[in-house]
Order: sequence, then structure tokens, then C-alpha cells
Amino acid sequence: MNTFKLLTKKTNLIQNKLLKVSLLFLVTCNLGLVTGAALSQTPAQLEALQSELEALSIRTERLQDVEEIEILQRSYGYYVDKSLWYSLHDLWTEDGTLEIGGRGVFTGKDRVFEYMNVGLGPVGPARNLLVDHQQFQNIVTISADGQSAELRGIAMVMSSGGWGHCYYENDFVKENGVWKMKTLHGPFNMYSGYDIGWVDNIIINTWPAKFPPPPDLPPSVIYLAYPSYYVEPYHYPNPVTGAPMPPHDPAAGGEAFGREQ
Amino acid sequence: MIKIIKPLNTTRRTLVAVLMMTAIVLPGSLFAQRNDDNARYSALLTRLESLKQEATLVEDILQIQRLGRSFGFYLDKGYFGEAADLFTDSGRVQYGMDGVYIGRDRIQELFTRHGGGSMNAGPGLPFGRLNLHMQLQPLVTVADDGRTASARWREWALLGNYKEQAQWGDAIQENDYIKEGGVWKISAMRFYTNFVAPYEGGWASLQPVFGNWQSEVARSFRPDQPAPGNYRPFPSVYTPPYHYANDRRAISAPGPIALRRRPNDVLGQLEANADAQELKLARLHSARAVENLQAMYGYYIDKGKWTEAASLFSEDGVWEFGQRGQYIGRDSIRRGLALMGPEGLESGQLNNYPMLQPVIHVSEDNSRAWGRFRSDVMLARNGTGQWGGGVYENEYINDNGTWRISKQHYWVTFWGDYDQGWTGAGIIPMAPASTTNPPDAPPSVVYQSFPNTYVVPFHYDHPVTGEPHNDMGRLTADQAAGRNVR
Repeated sequence: MNTFKLLTKKTNLIQNKLLKVSLLFLVTCNLGLVTGAALSQTPAQLEALQSELEALSIRTERLQDVEEIEILQRSYGYYVDKSLWYSLHDLWTEDGTLEIGGRGVFTGKDRVFEYMNVGLGPVGPARNLLVDHQQFQNIVTISADGQSAELRGIAMVMSSGGWGHCYYENDFVKENGVWKMKTLHGPFNMYSGYDIGWVDNIIINTWPAKFPPPPDLPPSVIYLAYPSYYVEPYHYPNPVTGAPMPPHDPAAGGEAFGREQ
Repeated sequence: MIKIIKPLNTTRRTLVAVLMMTAIVLPGSLFAQRNDDNARYSALLTRLESLKQEATLVEDILQIQRLGRSFGFYLDKGYFGEAADLFTDSGRVQYGMDGVYIGRDRIQELFTRHGGGSMNAGPGLPFGRLNLHMQLQPLVTVADDGRTASARWREWALLGNYKEQAQWGDAIQENDYIKEGGVWKISAMRFYTNFVAPYEGGWASLQPVFGNWQSEVARSFRPDQPAPGNYRPFPSVYTPPYHYANDRRAISAPGPIALRRRPNDVLGQLEANADAQELKLARLHSARAVENLQAMYGYYIDKGKWTEAASLFSEDGVWEFGQRGQYIGRDSIRRGLALMGPEGLESGQLNNYPMLQPVIHVSEDNSRAWGRFRSDVMLARNGTGQWGGGVYENEYINDNGTWRISKQHYWVTFWGDYDQGWTGAGIIPMAPASTTNPPDAPPSVVYQSFPNTYVVPFHYDHPVTGEPHNDMGRLTADQAAGRNVR
């Protein structure tokens, strides 16, 4: 054996020892790593975090839903202002309905268009015609599954005909991720001319034959607006007590006709 | 042998080297990785909590809006007990100069008497009684601890008795709220009547009030405490204190957000999820902040607070009103606003600019926003009343977490004297550019107000179709550009 071979043999021995030590070190470290990982983030912890984020994303989506429905309702008002009937009827589902005052129920977005275009005049603003329909006080309630919603609101009308105040109790549905108007129900509270206001000169309601086109269905409720008393049922409970709204009391005196059950 | 050993030797040497490197470097990097993962995991837990708080804040704002709007819907139809149920056990209503009524029973009776209902009957109103109280322009500030809040509201009321009288009502509310057992309630309502004016003649016909101007209700239904301080309603000019005088939380929101790249691992996916939530919530919060900002502007304009109103603009902000032209920068905007009257208004001046019907969109990165609003205005000066109406299309900018108005453009629909409004000879054309206090730039678009009509272009696409408003293609070019003369 020459020195070279001896050296090689020694080196091999050292290498073998180093190899064993390295392997042992590596195994120990990796074992430690696995144990350490188990102490910081278990799969269960990561899943818990994941599900918390999912719960949060549902809350976020509900807030987004409220905003989108407010925008839908308020856009409706801006469209009425300027007789933008194409934009207006595009807010509806194909089978959605519209019922305003006592005119009866119009079914389908084409009939919504016809109600506006025939009943109120052609598309686009017209000289010397004011039809401002201000949208106020929206209360939006989203269903638990996030697929439908209800809204109570007000239209305060300043028009060439004078003043108008009506409520909305509208329904919305989410189709392929997009909110649409399913039912617009707009009972009148008070409509009057301009000259002397609501001291007199009142329009107590409209009716199916008051002006064309005729409705698909008769009115869902028969009532008279101011000076009589009619309250459209509230879709939502009292926000503090959580109790549903009690019915109104005929003994209070203003009722002309009750809601047909 | 050598031929065999040598390759073995080389292999072994390489193997040893690799293993040694691995043994030293890999566990080191894995330790570092583990520490890094721990940090990322705990950062996610912290972020989750702050995102939940952010969601709660936006929910709180909506819930307080819901309380105020419910209050209006209940008064409208004589549901006075339901209105009182919105208050805490020790809830207080300070009503004009009538005084303070404490507790739900007293509050129910107060509103029953004012609204013409009966304490002996359930919800409802007698024939011929009109009691419509519209609750508008909420400006909500939630306290940092999320347990209390304040809000300013505008009430516009239509009141009357059939064949006897019709009246307009105008009031400001400054209310306090508290969250009890997870439920928001009204703890205090300060109801500042500005006027109850006869329809005939309107608010401009009101005479200054002297002495005790308590209502008939208070004279027979005594308050539990006298009203603190004193003020006089229109035609005096009184500014109900602003709860946000030194507090800009209502117009604050997270700053602009740039989306980050996350590692493609389990934690990275969770981080990306949290990033998406953070951005969505920031934009929802910003939309409410912009709603508050425009309300704040309106409440300042009401009382001639030109300096405060101008301070809500960005430094290079633009203010444009009808055909008066564009005023650029805060100093110029203050000059432009002063076209409406002296700072603080003069006695007998009414300058109500309600901020209504908001449609707000926030940019994808939460840095900018656009808002369409409506303002139908009640004015008076020198004993003459006016109605006006128009639409705002405004732009806003997120200035490191405070929203500011970068462009305000009020498009006038109509202006008219009180007696005939928009219905007859009372129509007033838009004022041209001032010669004494000229604008920095001419109007950005030339048009005429009522009896001419036009469409104010929309900043947003149709919410259902996602397309530009398709009527616009069917309108004439002038109508579509906001210049209809037909």
C-alpha cells in the first residue's frame, strides 16, 4: 500500500463516518421539523382559518348585496326621471311584475316596458315635462341564502302633475350572480296637484282602466290613499324588538278598505 | 481496484458533500421556513380579526341607517309604539324647544300627540291626517369601540289635515345610538325643528319667532326636562351642532390597496383569500364614507359654511354648478360657494341642499369613486321662496384613507319660484357665469334647464346588463350629451 492508498482508505473511513453522522443529523432534524410543524399549524387549524374566512366572505357578500340592490332601486328612479324605458325594463327578470297605485299587475319585462311607453309616453325626456321620481329611505333585507331580497322605500314625486308620495315593497332575485327586480309593488300614500297641495285636489288612487294599457291581473289590493289611511305591510320586523309589525287598528279611524286576504 | 474504487470514491465524496450540505443547510432553511410559516399563520389570525371588525363596522352603519328609516316609516303610518321601541329603556327625545321626554312610554305619547294619533287605539291614523316624515341624508359615525354611534339626519315632512291645512316640515336630527346585547338602539334623539310652514305661501311667509315657541303639544304634555339652551327656528339661521365637528371618522376608510402576489402554498391561498376580503370590505366601507362625505358637504352648504364645505375637496378639486362655470382649488371653490350668500347665511335665508338617492361606485383598487346624487332644494332670500332640482355626477379621491371630493358637478334640472314651482310662469333660467366673482373655467357642457330637458350622463353601466345605458343610443346626440333642446 502506498501512502496514496492509505490516505484514500482513511478518507473513506472518515467519509463513511461523516455519511452516517449526516444521515443521522438529517433524520433527527426532519423528525424535529415534523414535530415542530405539528405544534404550529395542524391541518385542523388551517381548516378552521379557511372556514372563518368563508364565513366572513358570506358577510361581505351580504353587504355587497345590499349595496347592489340600493343601486338597482335608485337607478330605477333616475330612469323614470328621463323616460329611459329600455334601461328601466332591463332591471326586471323575464317574468317579473309591476304594480303601481291601483292600475293592476303587469307581468313580464315586455309589459313593464309597455306600461311605461304606452301609459306614460315615449322613450327620452320631453320638453316641459317633469317626472322626477326621487328614491328615498331604502330598507333592504337579504334572505338567509342570499338569493332573494326585499326592499321598502319611498318615491317622492315632483312632476308636471304635482306631488306624489308612494311606498315600495319590492322583491329581488339573484340570477347568475346578478340582482334583478322580481316584483315592483308601489302603493300610493298621497298624490296631489301643485296649486294648493294636499289640502284638497287629491288623487285617491288609480284603477285598471284609468289609462292604457290594461293590466294582466287585477290589483292585488284595493285601497284608497290619502285622505284615507292605508298601510302597506312591512316586510321586516322591528329592528330592535325583532317582533313582526302588528296589524293597524281600524279603531284609529282612517281606514277606507282593508287589505284583501 | 483503483478503477473500481475511484468511481466509488467520487460517488461517495459527492454523496457525503450533498448530505452534509443538506444536513446543514436544509434543516436551517426548513427551520427558517417553519418560523416564517408561524409568522404568516399568526398574521393571518390577526388579519382575520381586523377584517371581522371592518365587516362589523359596515354592518353597524347599515343597521343605524335602518333604525332611522324605520323610525320614519313608523311615524308615517301612526306606528308610534313601534317608533318608541327603537329607543333604549332610558332613551331621550329632545324635541325643538319643547323639552326632553325620557323613556319609551313618554316618547310614544310625544309622537302620538304630534302625529295626531290616539293613545287609546292601536297603530293607525284618523281619516284626513297626513304625517309623512321622510328620513334622509344619514351621516353615521361609529365610535372606535363599536359600542356607540352618532348620526345626523334630515327630515322632510309632508303634514296636514284634509281640507284644513297642508304643511311642509323641515328638521335636523342629531342622534346617539348604543349597541346593547348586539342590538343597536337609539339612546338620544335631538330633534331640531327648523320650520313647519303652511303649503300656501310656503316657508318664505314665516315671520320671526319671539318668546316661547313651544308647540301646543308641549303646553299640554309637559316634558321631563327643559330643553338645554335655546335656539330660534327659520327665518332665524340656526346650525344644530355637528357631532363630527372635530371628527372625520365618518369619511375615513382604508387607503388605496394594491393586490399582492402570494406564494403558491396552503398559507398563500389563505392569504390571497384574506386579501380579496380586505379589498371588498375596504370598497364597501369607502362607499359608505363617500355617502357620508356628500352628506357632510350638504349639511355645511345648508348653513352657509363655505370654508368647511371647501375643505372637503381635494387640493385641486373642481366645483361646477349649472352654467356658472368651474371653480378650481379650495380657495376658488369657497369663492364659488359664496355666490349663494354670505358665510353663515343672512337672516331669513334658507339654503337647503339635501343629498339624496346616492349611486356610488368605488374603483377596483379603492383609490377613486364616482357618485350620482340628487338634490331638490328649498331656498329663500329676502322673503321670496324657491324650489330647485338637479342631479350631481361627482368624483372622489381616497387621500391616504380620507375621502375627498375631487370633482363636483351639479346639473340643474329646474329652478322655479315657490308659488308655481316648475308648473307655470315661475320658471327661472340658470344663472350665467358671475362677472364679479368669475369662474376659473367655463362650463364643461352647455345646456338649458327646464322647460328644456336632457339626460345627465351616467358614470356607470346598467346594473343588470352591464352595458352602457342603451336608451342613450336611441336618444339624439344632444340628449345623450346632456344638451337636449327638443
